[in-house]
Amino acid sequence: MLAVLLTALIAQATLLTEIRIQGATVELMMVIAILAGFHGGPERGMFVAFFAGLLQDSLISVPLGLHALVFPPLAVAVSSLEQRMVRLTPVADALALLLASTAGIFMIVAAGLLFGLSPFDPSVLLTRILIAAAMTTAIAIPVNRAVRWAVMGGLPPEIKIRSIDS
Amino acid sequence: MAAQRPANRPRPTLLILLAAALTLLTLQFRGLQPLDAFQQGVRDIVEPVRTLSDRLTDPIQTAWNGVFDYDALRMENERLEIELARMRGNTLTSEADTELLSRLLSEVDIAYSDFDTLVVRLLGRPPGNFSSHMVEVDKGTDDGLKEGMAVVTGAGLVGRLDQVDRSRSLVQLATHPDFKVGVRLVTSQDEGLANGTGTEGLVRIESGVRLDAQVEHGEVLVTSGGRSLFPADIPVGRVLDPDSDADYRRSIIVELSADLENLSFLKVVLPVQQTGVVR
Repeated sequence: MLAVLLTALIAQATLLTEIRIQGATVELMMVIAILAGFHGGPERGMFVAFFAGLLQDSLISVPLGLHALVFPPLAVAVSSLEQRMVRLTPVADALALLLASTAGIFMIVAAGLLFGLSPFDPSVLLTRILIAAAMTTAIAIPVNRAVRWAVMGGLPPEIKIRSIDS
Repeated sequence: MAAQRPANRPRPTLLILLAAALTLLTLQFRGLQPLDAFQQGVRDIVEPVRTLSDRLTDPIQTAWNGVFDYDALRMENERLEIELARMRGNTLTSEADTELLSRLLSEVDIAYSDFDTLVVRLLGRPPGNFSSHMVEVDKGTDDGLKEGMAVVTGAGLVGRLDQVDRSRSLVQLATHPDFKVGVRLVTSQDEGLANGTGTEGLVRIESGVRLDAQVEHGEVLVTSGGRSLFPADIPVGRVLDPDSDADYRRSIIVELSADLENLSFLKVVLPVQQTGVVR
C-alpha cells in the first residue's frame, strides 16, 4: 500500500498538477482514500485514507492534518455505503464515486475555511469543485485496480463462513 | 427488511484518527517547528522528481493547454491585437504619458529600478486545488530567498514569497485574500493597508486612508515601506474606485499594475545588504 501511496504522491506532484481544467485538478490521494474504503472496508480504509491525507498535506501548502482530517470519514462513509448497496453496477459505482469526490472536496474547502485558509475565489468555487470531482472520478478507472490489489493483498476482503441449512 | 449493520464498528478508531489530525493541525498553528521541517523535507525529497517530470511533461502540458485553453488563448490573442493597434495609434500620447509619469515618479523620489533583485522563472501552479492566487517559482533557500520577500515584475508588485523550499518557492499573489501590504497614495501621500480581494487583478484598501482624503480615480499607489517587510516605492497599481461617498468605512479598489495572469519571469526583491547573489 505504501508503494501505491508514494507513487500516487509523485503523480499528484508532477503530471497531474500540469493537467488542469478551469484551474481544477485531480485529487488523486482522495481517490485512493475513497477506493480504499470501498475495497478494504472501514478499518483498513480509514488508515489508508489517514496516511494518504498526511502525504497530501506534506506536499501542498496547507497545514499538516487538514486532508488527514477529511479523508478517513470519507473512506468510512464510502465503505458504509458500499455495504448497504443492494446491487453494484459500474454506473452506480461511478455515481457514488462522483458524489463522494464532490462531498470530499466540499469537506476540504469547509475544513480549510474553518482553519483560516481561503482556497478559492468564491465566484468560481462551485464550478471548480464540480470539475475537480469529475476529473477525480475519471482518474479512478485506472487507479481502481491498483488500490484494490494494494488494500486486499490479492485476497478477498473477508471470508464469510455460512452454514448450509439442508 | 432493514439492511444488516456491518459487523465491525470503526467509530473508536475513526475518532482516534480524527483526534490525531486535529492535534497535528493545532500543533502546526502553534508553530511547532518539526512539523514544518517534516513538510519541507517531504517536498525536498519529491522536488528532483518534480523537476525531471516538469521537463518531460512540458510537451504534454503544452498540448493540454492547446486543447482546453484554446478559447482563452484565442481571446488573449485578439485582446493583444487590439491592444497593439491602440498602442500604435497612440504613440505620441504614450510618449507624453511616459514623460509625465517619469516626472511624477522623480517628484516623489521613487527609485524602483534601483532594487537589488533575483530573477526567478515561473513553474506554474502548485499541486492540489488549494492553490488559487499562488504560483511556484524555480528558486529557493539555496539561492538566498526567504519568506516574506517581495516579488515584482517590471510593471510592479506581484506578491510575496510565502513558502520557501531549497530549490522552489511559492509566491502568494497580491490578489490572495491573505495578502497584505502597506501602500502610499502618490498624490495625496495618504497611507493605508491594502489586501487581496480574491478577484483577479484587484486589491482593496480598507484601513488607513482617511474618509475625507482626496483620492482621485487613476491615482498611483506604491508600497509604503517603513515597518513593512516590503521596500518602499514599489509600484502597486492605480485607484479604480476611490469610494469617495463612504460614510463610515472607506473601501478603495485598486487595479494592480502587474498582469498576474500572464507571468513568466519574476524578480524577487532582495534586502539591501544582500549582495553577491548570482543573477
